[in-house]
Amino acid sequence: MSTSESDLRAPEDGLRQIMADQVARLHAPPDLLDRVLRAARRRRANRIRLTALAVAVAVAGTVTSLSLTLGPGDPAVRGPEPAARITVPGMPPPSATAEAVPEPPAVDDSGPPPAPERTDLGDLGDGRVFGSLRVGYLPAGLRWSTWSLVRGDSYTTSWNYDGDENGAYCVQIHVYEGRTVQGVDERVREYRERGTGKEVAVGGRTTAYLITQSAGEDGTRGTPSIFLSVGEGRRVEVTFSSVYAADLDDPEKVDRELKKIAVALTAEG
Amino acid sequence: MSGADDNGFAAFVAARGTSLLRVAYLACGDEKEAEDLLQTALERTYRNWDRVRYDNPEPYLRRIIVNASISRARRRAIMRVIPMHTPPESAARETDVDLRHLLMDTLRALPPRQRAVVVLRYWEDLSEAQTAEILGCSTGTVKSQASKALAKLRAAIVPEAAEGVIGNVHV
Repeated sequence: MSTSESDLRAPEDGLRQIMADQVARLHAPPDLLDRVLRAARRRRANRIRLTALAVAVAVAGTVTSLSLTLGPGDPAVRGPEPAARITVPGMPPPSATAEAVPEPPAVDDSGPPPAPERTDLGDLGDGRVFGSLRVGYLPAGLRWSTWSLVRGDSYTTSWNYDGDENGAYCVQIHVYEGRTVQGVDERVREYRERGTGKEVAVGGRTTAYLITQSAGEDGTRGTPSIFLSVGEGRRVEVTFSSVYAADLDDPEKVDRELKKIAVALTAEG
Repeated sequence: MSGADDNGFAAFVAARGTSLLRVAYLACGDEKEAEDLLQTALERTYRNWDRVRYDNPEPYLRRIIVNASISRARRRAIMRVIPMHTPPESAARETDVDLRHLLMDTLRALPPRQRAVVVLRYWEDLSEAQTAEILGCSTGTVKSQASKALAKLRAAIVPEAAEGVIGNVHV
């Protein structure tokens, strides 16, 4: 949309449109959540490490200051006398210092770090089969983005126009299994209670829940999604980006395409 | 945090990530920094998700983003002697595009607090009271900051009328 000079003469009037024009191209990166969770985990690990270090320093400091105040021979510093001192013939007795000052706890004695947890699904070819899901239908003109993410018992991948990992997604499919099923069920229950979406029949045999999330500031229609069960203990969420939904330019077509994808989803293996 | 909480947080990020990124961009004027601001704000929100999730988490995040962008801009201003950006003295007004760029440049060049007021009032459509709450100031301060910001924006567009217009700006 263009902004005329007369609009701009009253900045407060034209400003919103100008700002909308400026930010229309911006979209949250697909790996944003992954980055946040990784950073949070890293921060928590650092905090634990620092706490352990602080405890070690505090213990060592306390014993040293007690030793200086009371003298190394004081029972408070030496600690309780051992019931029986074990001596090994030919070996020198343990030194007083070694007895008085306990070794600080090891800061990181967990051995070599475990192999990194797998965070993506690898090369999926055209992306039509990933994890335990087969995607039988996708709207024309979409290519697998080559991006995928594994998060515990859930995993996801996406498709866009150019097949570029860094491109904005058009369609994203999340699969929830194991412990993550409860979370998505709760979310759908909340949507139901709020009346955010509606129950729809998918292929005449499955019931799914179709929603259109809140509208974006730029006039696009949020992120329309459909939730359904595919196989035992597995939930699937199919989401269109707001931009893609706007590209389809017809709310009924958006619903139709979402349902067509849902109908053609099958469990793999 | 439980798996269900994690999923709730993931759903929130998926639904509102882009919207919040845009607020961050308008507040700081730089795409990379906007992503960093958003990530930092989301990390803080994730740590407090148990408490925040029951209310609407979005205002909480918005507050972190806007205040973090103000404090970063202040830190930069202290560290840099040269101002970040100066709007051109004379406006090129041949096309609408020029005017739009000029207005965005002027917006970026506003002091961080004034820029935050403009973003919250005219992008997020928040009231003066809501804006004041996020910025931790009085509604009077919001009014005066908005007034000054709009006067600067107007002056950038119509420099020859600046003096007369500044006096007539009302918000």
